Amino acid sequence: MKKVMLLIVISLLWSTTLFAAGTQYDLRVDGLACPFCAYGIEKKLTKTDGVESVAFDLEKGLVIVKVKEGMTFSEAQLKLLIEDSGFTMRSMTEKPII
Amino acid sequence: MFRSKLLLYLLFVILATVLLSSCAWFPAVKEPPYQLVKTWGGKGNSAGKFNEPTGVAVSKAELFVSDSRNARIQVFDFSGNFLRFIGESGNAAGQLRRPMNLTVANEELYVADYFNDVIQVYSLQGQFLRDIGKPGSEAGEFNAPGGVAVAKNGDLFVADFYNQRIQQLDSKGSFIRQWGTTGETGIWASKFNYPTDTAIASDGTLYVADGYSDRVQVISPNGEFSHKWGGPFAINIFGSFNGWFATVTGIDVGPQGNVFVADFYNDRVQKFTPDGKFLNAFGLPTQAPTHTSIAVAISSDDTVFVADYANHQIQVWRPGQ
Repeated sequence: MKKVMLLIVISLLWSTTLFAAGTQYDLRVDGLACPFCAYGIEKKLTKTDGVESVAFDLEKGLVIVKVKEGMTFSEAQLKLLIEDSGFTMRSMTEKPII
Repeated sequence: MFRSKLLLYLLFVILATVLLSSCAWFPAVKEPPYQLVKTWGGKGNSAGKFNEPTGVAVSKAELFVSDSRNARIQVFDFSGNFLRFIGESGNAAGQLRRPMNLTVANEELYVADYFNDVIQVYSLQGQFLRDIGKPGSEAGEFNAPGGVAVAKNGDLFVADFYNQRIQQLDSKGSFIRQWGTTGETGIWASKFNYPTDTAIASDGTLYVADGYSDRVQVISPNGEFSHKWGGPFAINIFGSFNGWFATVTGIDVGPQGNVFVADFYNDRVQKFTPDGKFLNAFGLPTQAPTHTSIAVAISSDDTVFVADYANHQIQVWRPGQ
């Protein structure tokens, strides 16, 4: 029984990785309400290799960055990109796009 | 000992009260309130709808609107009837990606394109004429131009947002001079902190919306710094009192020479005399997570047109009687 459960878990993990179509990063950034700010971040990120799309959730203060399959960014890299746009990244979460 | 300290404290409180009540940091409204006479728009991509309007300018009888996320300019009569589109999405000459503040001057439309890093110039009918500048931080190059003013002789004064400077170029785009240090923010006179827009008065005086320093800076026609205003000492102290700002995103000079400033995070336009004395304030509050008054233009009959970013619409205001 334990072996069956283990196999199921491994299969699930494998399929998630297999079918993941990239990675989504949710970046918490202050001051997104002003388009001069938000557009600056959007402009910077969309020029970055591997970034597929940039969207904003103004209610939650999030920059939502989707990157291509096989591409990853570290928190430090994303922090630097946001800083280059004139802002401070407070936190980051990461999840696969399925 | 205790008594002398108490006396000193009382003296300080009295002095502070007198200063605060009498000083110019908390001016009263000097005019009847402006009246909202019309709005039009709403979110969308059909004619007359907007997706994040960020700029306005007027000719004698027409209103030009930067419809930013739709990557186009829309033209209306002053009653709000749609007339035509200008520009289309793209990064080739004459194409737009993120148009911001606009200027009409010398029978031409000047568009600051924040993503393409150029100033696009069109005839008022919409024919593309030329573009000025290119991406970069050298003389004559831009990093996210937010707005532009044009002098009678055709010289351009560009708010070069990420380069932290105002550039003066001739009508062909050749560099003449700049104010501010490239890439360096500052809160003192002639330094900038993400400048967003410029406007020029009939005598050549240049007004700069010094965006994140929450102030207006004024440069005299001879190029010297003249004066500044916005909160105590105009050194990036923001607030919602009359005469204070919370991110200045647009500026225009009215037919009487008064200066109208889009005060974005306070959801209002503020009106000042040319020397910076507060006159009036008006605007619509926001219901959205963002804000309303982002850009302003004044017609020759003193009607004020405001680009309302949060509500994707145009506001039209008239002076109170």
